[in-house]
Amino acid sequence: MNLYKYASPATFYPLAGKMIPWFAIPSAILFAVGLYVGFFVAPTDFQQGDAYRIMFIHVPAAWMAMLLYVLMAIYAGIGWAFNARLSSMMASAIAVTGAMFTLLSLVTGAFWGKPTWGTWWAWDARMTSTLILLFLYIGFISLQAAIDDPRRADRAGAVLALVGVINVPIIYFSVQWWNTLHQGATIRLLGKPTIAKPMLTALLIMLAACWLYSAAVVLIRLRCIILEREQNASRFAEVEV
Amino acid sequence: MNWPDLSMGGYGFYVWGSYIFSLIAIVWELVSLSHRKKALAQQQSATSVPTSVPASVLGGSANETTS
Repeated sequence: MNLYKYASPATFYPLAGKMIPWFAIPSAILFAVGLYVGFFVAPTDFQQGDAYRIMFIHVPAAWMAMLLYVLMAIYAGIGWAFNARLSSMMASAIAVTGAMFTLLSLVTGAFWGKPTWGTWWAWDARMTSTLILLFLYIGFISLQAAIDDPRRADRAGAVLALVGVINVPIIYFSVQWWNTLHQGATIRLLGKPTIAKPMLTALLIMLAACWLYSAAVVLIRLRCIILEREQNASRFAEVEV
Repeated sequence: MNWPDLSMGGYGFYVWGSYIFSLIAIVWELVSLSHRKKALAQQQSATSVPTSVPASVLGGSANETTS
């Protein structure tokens, strides 16, 4: 099977349409299961009480914000380096969902911060670098919207996305590099998690749900972008003739 | 199974606030995408393109070929 053919918007468009339900339906099921486990199975935390349940949306949103930014930068970079239209379109499709998850992580973090730290917001390293991530997403979206020529917009967006990717490790390691109000990581790639099993289960299910949701929504948006760009290109071609 | 108290031990405003905000954000994203799809469908029908994908897309390639 020649997978390279799917690098063309023409062949990827129908494939994306077929893939959307395979992401959307499991996502809805996992959201329901994750919320059930998070609210009905996971016990009350002995220190934070029930306020910790914000974690089941806050942590997946924060992870998705970072992961989607890295993905966006990779796609934008590939689109720029190889002049691959579909990659650039994919980067544009990811940006809005990434921005939404960043906003969610900031707002739900504020909702969690008020009862646990006594403040909605503090200019600490984790929160400030996450706010910068939101500005990077907004900058990427605004830059692409401000430039009429899609190819120039893609190139400009790619530069911003690639420069901004340096902020992702800063967000991740900020709690280790600086003294911050934000708590350290409870789940590490290497090493045992420091939370109870039902809490971890709910967290991982919600993370999977957010991943599948993102995939479905990004593919829907990608299909819109393919159509919009090709319609604009056709119109432009008509004017040129 | 633990039935959580709706007041969340006094943290109800914060817990439900964060979940309601998340729900609003997700619904907003889905509704805005739905509007975008509808607008595209209307544009396509106005230009009376017979297929769901413009002809230029169907004949497209992976890389930019035009200058």
